[in-house]
Amino acid sequence: MENESPKIIPIQPAPYSRSRQAGESQNVLDHIVDDFQDNPASMQYFYDLFRRVYCHGDALQHEGMLVGTTCIQAPEELIYAFGATPMRLCNGSYHYDQRGADFMPAKSCSLVKATLGMLSSETVIPKIGKPDLIVNPTTCDQKKKASAMIEGMGYSVYDLEVPSVKESEASRVYWQRSVRQLAGRLQELTGRKLTRKSLKQAMSKTTRAQAAFRALHNFRRQSPSLILGKDAFLVTNAYFFDDIGRWTTAVEKLNEELAQRAKAGFKAVQSKAPRVLFTGSPPIFPNLKLPLLIEESGGVVVTDETCSSNRMLYDMTAVDEWRVNDMVDSLADKYLKPCTCPIFTRNDDRKRRLLDLVSDFNVDGVVYQAFAGCQVYEMEYRSVAEEFNRAGIPLLYVETDYSTDDKGQLSTRIEAFLESMKNRKKQRA
Amino acid sequence: MKQNNSRLQAVRDAVNRVDLNSFRFWLQLAAFALFVYGGYFAIDLGSRLPLFSCAYNDEGRAAICYLLPLQHQLSQPWPRLFSIASITVITGFLTFVLWFIFLNKGWCGYVCPLGTIQDWITALRRRLGIRYSRYSQSQFAQLTRVKYLLLALMILIPLGIGGGFFSHDMSPPFCLICPARMVLPMFTGDVSQFTIDFSSKTAMIMTAVGISITGLFLVGAFVKKRFFCFFCPMSALHYLISKPALLKLKKDGNKCTRCGDCYRVCDMEIKEIADDVKTVNIMADDCIMCLKCVASCPEEGALKATFAGIPILESTEAGFIKRINKGCSDGK
Amino acid sequence: MLATLSMNGYCQYSPAPGKQLELGGRPGAAMDRAAASGAPAGGGRPEAGNHRSNARSDGMGMHSGGAIWLSDAPPMRGGGSRSGNARGGGMGGMNMGGGYGGRAMKRLWPRAGNDPQKSSFAREDAQASTEILLVTPSSTPEGEPLPAPAESHTGIAFEVPAQGYYRVYLTTRKLQGKILNVCVAKAEVANFGHGGDEEEQARGMQAPRILESAPIEIVRERQPNEKMFFQLKSGDEQPFVILQKGLPLPSARVRFVSHQGWSREAVSDEQGRVSFQVIRDYFPPWGEFQKRFKATYLVIAEANAAESGNYQGQPYTSVRYQATLSGSYQPSPSDYMSYAWGLGIGLLIFLFSGVAVYLYRRRRVKPFVEVRFDEAK
Repeated sequence: MENESPKIIPIQPAPYSRSRQAGESQNVLDHIVDDFQDNPASMQYFYDLFRRVYCHGDALQHEGMLVGTTCIQAPEELIYAFGATPMRLCNGSYHYDQRGADFMPAKSCSLVKATLGMLSSETVIPKIGKPDLIVNPTTCDQKKKASAMIEGMGYSVYDLEVPSVKESEASRVYWQRSVRQLAGRLQELTGRKLTRKSLKQAMSKTTRAQAAFRALHNFRRQSPSLILGKDAFLVTNAYFFDDIGRWTTAVEKLNEELAQRAKAGFKAVQSKAPRVLFTGSPPIFPNLKLPLLIEESGGVVVTDETCSSNRMLYDMTAVDEWRVNDMVDSLADKYLKPCTCPIFTRNDDRKRRLLDLVSDFNVDGVVYQAFAGCQVYEMEYRSVAEEFNRAGIPLLYVETDYSTDDKGQLSTRIEAFLESMKNRKKQRA
Repeated sequence: MKQNNSRLQAVRDAVNRVDLNSFRFWLQLAAFALFVYGGYFAIDLGSRLPLFSCAYNDEGRAAICYLLPLQHQLSQPWPRLFSIASITVITGFLTFVLWFIFLNKGWCGYVCPLGTIQDWITALRRRLGIRYSRYSQSQFAQLTRVKYLLLALMILIPLGIGGGFFSHDMSPPFCLICPARMVLPMFTGDVSQFTIDFSSKTAMIMTAVGISITGLFLVGAFVKKRFFCFFCPMSALHYLISKPALLKLKKDGNKCTRCGDCYRVCDMEIKEIADDVKTVNIMADDCIMCLKCVASCPEEGALKATFAGIPILESTEAGFIKRINKGCSDGK
Repeated sequence: MLATLSMNGYCQYSPAPGKQLELGGRPGAAMDRAAASGAPAGGGRPEAGNHRSNARSDGMGMHSGGAIWLSDAPPMRGGGSRSGNARGGGMGGMNMGGGYGGRAMKRLWPRAGNDPQKSSFAREDAQASTEILLVTPSSTPEGEPLPAPAESHTGIAFEVPAQGYYRVYLTTRKLQGKILNVCVAKAEVANFGHGGDEEEQARGMQAPRILESAPIEIVRERQPNEKMFFQLKSGDEQPFVILQKGLPLPSARVRFVSHQGWSREAVSDEQGRVSFQVIRDYFPPWGEFQKRFKATYLVIAEANAAESGNYQGQPYTSVRYQATLSGSYQPSPSDYMSYAWGLGIGLLIFLFSGVAVYLYRRRRVKPFVEVRFDEAK
């Protein structure tokens, strides 16, 4: 409660580390670190990072101007190219979710509420400082409406216009134009010019990070798994705010360790552990409730299809002519075409991507998380379920939010789901 | 056996990591030298080649583009064409098919001298820092038919000449309007094609159209990658007989994320390469088989080029990352 | 196999042959090669009348009847035939004619006269003996005899199955008083097809072009880098070699007659060589101009020799040799091809489209323009 009442009592607020929010993070992080065995040694970097940022409230350093983004649709290469640092503002804290409830109807997406809550708070965690600009892609309705609210909090917001259809030529051209306009806005903000060299440097940073992510992604194909999903989610969550170079080095180190584990025949889970594909609304620290429940119950999240992890880092950009014009358009294409976000009219690509991941990762079942109020994922559930039905792959649909109230109930459902998968496996064998 | 397999895999990995653009540049240069200057070294590969090794480059050519003899053969008087000459037409076509099935449209992307020239013009534009143009999809849908129209005319007009309906001054109709007739001989110092033939009205019109198209070609190729290939009747003819070809471009739609990287780099703006996830033989009629799409695909095995069923170039993550890193550091 | 063919006007000479026989005896007759080559080519329209009168007055030993030569067209076909087929292109000589379908045949007509257009059919002459030899790509260099045509207007027909050069020698011998007239009319026919057997073509190009048994022969020298489908163009310099039994014949009087009857004389040098520039003598109205107009030139070479012997039991004291060769030439491309226009149009289109693309692109980077409708009726 201390954190909610500083305006009323004009005394020095208690240190952040003693806040309810820090406690929430502390609990989850302790659970991640202590309640599982054989955590990879190189995960320590990420554990420490989260502990510093989320539990102690340490400030994050960044280079140049700070540009907040509320969605993966905002091209980070462009932001880097202008010498600024992008920072993903999507938040997973229940504390902020509750704060954000003031801005949105009760049944709205926890993620958007939490983001609003965080931005409206005096002590923004992660402690990034005030963003010089917030790029808010006009994706789902809730993010669209959040734009004006964020502006109302005193931030300068840029609405990056995203089309609702991604197949059509008109939308592609429209989006490319949107991205170019964003570059114009960033130029205005930073006073720098977009040059071939700076954009190439920015792209090489991202490419290196993506390559490291892909290597990690590939290690997760291994059965039995070398690493648990909760660690992988932590790694990709760190990408939201960590320095990209440091992050990449840490992931590369982790990959080296995983390579050694693979050589040594290490098993992070039992051979029979059901392999789960996680999809739907993104788990963001500290809201790793569902993945943690799965792995506590003896399953393992081997891969995911969420915008906090796979969708954010998987797809890479190809450029034909290394000229500013072509590079910017290439980036625009990369941010629109492969995107499997449910805000688009059709979800064929998402279904195909899920099926591909199921077969590539030897997946036994799929857990579909939909935040209560995240209409697009809720609406897309039916078509995805039909697709999996046809393919004979078990699917568990979980509608939840950031609160921990439903933990017990969910635990039962997940255990039952994992048990049925184990039985299926046995029957097959 | 196992060792052999791993060695083969090592070779494949090395090939898949190749810097395709520079490999292609050198191969194209070599092919250009062969077909434009090979004649000086008494190289003669015949007159049934499925590429624009222009016959008007009288001294340097190492072979003759099949379109010239085809039009010549078809413009024979009908009594002859439909009797004994039909055999030479058929044997000529079969020889052409044999050449063709070897490389499929790879002839366009790797060997055709006119294609190479367009790539050089593109490189010049790129160096000057001028961006390229693209068609809109509706323009694309309309223009993509032009090559079939040209192919039909290229067959019907010579037949009409043989039947006495058209003047001989129109023969060979396509060659007269083909920019290769003017551009390629230039490389051996022969500029005699840059003339207007005033001997008759037909000849005057044909040569004027030809030189106008060459002017358009130079501008078009400057602002648009592979400008002419889009209208090339040889390309249309290729596509019609591409089924038995040995070199094939294949796609595994299940592995495709439709990220559009392949479409992004495609000189011919073929959208299906990214969006079609059902067709296995993905080569479209406009394709020039440059295989840039394979090199720019980050998905393991989603796109591949096979020769007689054996994969020779496959899209791999490692290859992609290597190429993109190279692009980020010294890409042009 | 010998065939006898008498022709009206064959090797008939003017009443004062002796005068004609004086080799180089007349001033002006012995024009050197350089002078001969200096003939106007495309430079201006030769006065056809003048030249024709020259042709008559300078009388190179021929008169009203004129020389016998082999043509690939009968007289009535008129001047200039178009090669309508894709196999076109004779080797500065004649190209393939004949009907399509069936076996490929070539037909040549012996014609008499000194003017390619005005020569009529050569008629039979009972007193002369004629022998026809055909050298084909597949025959021996000595050639094979051919039967004489039944009638002169049917011409000499032979099959042309192989690719390469076919040469026909029509040799006529006739005794006139004490003078033996030996007349060799030669035709060289190129038979090449696009896409034929390339080895066969190469062999055809390399085959010898001389008949060593010929009493006199004109050989058209090849142009540098001459290829299979060579076509002589007006304005070209064309050397010929006069041979006797395969050896160069110097000091032969050689006359070149153009399609319109313009002629030029020269005397062969020590190598038997003589060269003429083919003049431009085709000046139709633009609408009728044909760039593949096949004009015929005629080359006549003559030499006298004080040889004596017996011919068919009759003695002779001197021999008069005459050789003819005809060929075709077409208008020079420089007569109808224009670089200025070509480059002009090309440049115009280049600049126009270049500027159009530039302006289009400029327009596209300007701010968006609102769509408004015209309210006027």
